[in-house]
Amino acid sequence: MRIIAVAQNTFRESVRDKALYVLLFFAASTILGSKAIGWISIGQDIKVMKDICLAAVLMFGVLIAIFVGTTLVHKEIDKRTLYTILAKPMRRYEFILGKYLGLASLLGLVTVVMTVAAVLYVVALGGGVDLVFFEAALLIYWELLLITAFAILLSSVTSPILGALVVFSIFVLGHGTRILADLPRQFDDVAGKRALELLYYVLPNFSNFNLMREAANSVPVSGAYVAWAMLYGTIYSAFLLAAASAAFERKDV
Amino acid sequence: MKLDGLKRLGVVILFVQLLNATAGAILMQAIVTRELTKVYARIGRSAPASLDRLDLSIGESEVFGFLGRNGAGKTTSIKLICSLLQPTRGHAMIFGEDCRLPRARRHIGYLPENAYFYEYLTPRETIDFFGRLQGLDGPSRTKEWNRLAELFDLGGIRDQRVRTFSKGMRQRLGFAVALVGDPPLLILDEPMSGLDPLGRRLFRDVILKLRDDKKTIFFSSHVLGDVEQICDRVGILVNGKLTVQGRLDQLLERQIQLVEVILDGVDKQLEETLLRRSSAVRRSEAGTHFYVTTLDAGNELVRAAMERGAALVEFNPVRESLEDYFMRSQEAGRP
Repeated sequence: MRIIAVAQNTFRESVRDKALYVLLFFAASTILGSKAIGWISIGQDIKVMKDICLAAVLMFGVLIAIFVGTTLVHKEIDKRTLYTILAKPMRRYEFILGKYLGLASLLGLVTVVMTVAAVLYVVALGGGVDLVFFEAALLIYWELLLITAFAILLSSVTSPILGALVVFSIFVLGHGTRILADLPRQFDDVAGKRALELLYYVLPNFSNFNLMREAANSVPVSGAYVAWAMLYGTIYSAFLLAAASAAFERKDV
Repeated sequence: MKLDGLKRLGVVILFVQLLNATAGAILMQAIVTRELTKVYARIGRSAPASLDRLDLSIGESEVFGFLGRNGAGKTTSIKLICSLLQPTRGHAMIFGEDCRLPRARRHIGYLPENAYFYEYLTPRETIDFFGRLQGLDGPSRTKEWNRLAELFDLGGIRDQRVRTFSKGMRQRLGFAVALVGDPPLLILDEPMSGLDPLGRRLFRDVILKLRDDKKTIFFSSHVLGDVEQICDRVGILVNGKLTVQGRLDQLLERQIQLVEVILDGVDKQLEETLLRRSSAVRRSEAGTHFYVTTLDAGNELVRAAMERGAALVEFNPVRESLEDYFMRSQEAGRP
């Protein structure tokens, strides 16, 4: 009950924040503007539109996850709102989980709203959407959940600016982990190769959540793959949340 | 042989009862701290203890005033008791349970200094949120809102966002939040800070009502007059060390230190006569003030003055106040 109370409160806080609506405005503008780029690519307009719409869902979701997520816990300490909360009969991990679930709910709402807007727009312009489009949106949401878990962990241990920088770096690196695994031969004697390979195993592989190309080209994806990617994201997020709870457990506030 | 066995059994029963009574007495303590110490770590250099081996015992239904200058360690102590800080050494217990356990904190109502709340919530939503953290169901939360809104006059601002509140309004809401769930122990950090006279009176009245309701109240304050009026016992922190704790009537030198006699109609000649019986004299709009050291000397002075046609305006025996005691303890660095 306490986790849900904190989650609902976090959701309410974010929904009442005007910055969210500014981001949603830009997201809507990108979705509407996708027609212009689609128009340039002759005969491929619907494909390009689908691609841009899903990319907009991801990019604006990532912005919300990073900028809201990395301030969530730190802001509570900084503004001292945490004092009265932690003095209540509440475990610290409940607070972390509540914060995470609150932001996850907000991202869920944002993802649904943007996906529905994108689908309506594509259909209105004569295109069609398949199941894989929704599967791609679902995995984008799962990727956002993982980024949020990173953001909450960083928010528990460091300042929002540093946290945002680190999470953004992880987001960028996480989309290019294959480069780390498939290093060219000339790297064989380089001392840092081991470290780069280690990074490949430690960093999340965000490409696992990327079905945008399949969605744009209407290439079906098996349900088993989607389930596997979700399980991968869930386990990784759970590990990060456990680390955030452990870091926060003995923190002086 | 049989009788010996019975005797032994009797002794064992007596011992167990004694043990129970002792344990009961310990459990009756609302707050117990033992060797509670906090050192804020600084990289590369040693830091002094912000709180140094604090040993406190505060009984159930007691009102305890926690005094000290800014930076003496009052807020650190309170945050350690509320488990917001991790102690460097020692521990704190709430009603016999480790304060780090959530179930121990179920008994606490905490008002931090300059309480902060979510700016985008209304008082109604704030009370509801904290009611949920306290584990109250829907009807109980509504009941709590009605009770607290009436106590702190929050009804008129129920739908106003906290963002628009003045400091006094925030403080009222903070006190209301501390009372959500009707906890038996209230920990109030500078509750009167920044309040106007009406706000101070409201808070004092609420604290006195809570005292009548047999709540345990542990509060820090700079307003020594309020502490003297409200508290059963006080503790004084100096540079992180508890230098004194005890009942007010035991700490303060309650014997009369000085008697001030104010007389009207005192001419120059009478003043010179009376001055021989007193230690000092001064004039004010109220009359001529004479100072003597005992009640008897004061009575003698009044009789002599009235025989010579003067009138008594005031007769004030002066006892040591908590403020005098506090200043004395600070100046000496010890009680």
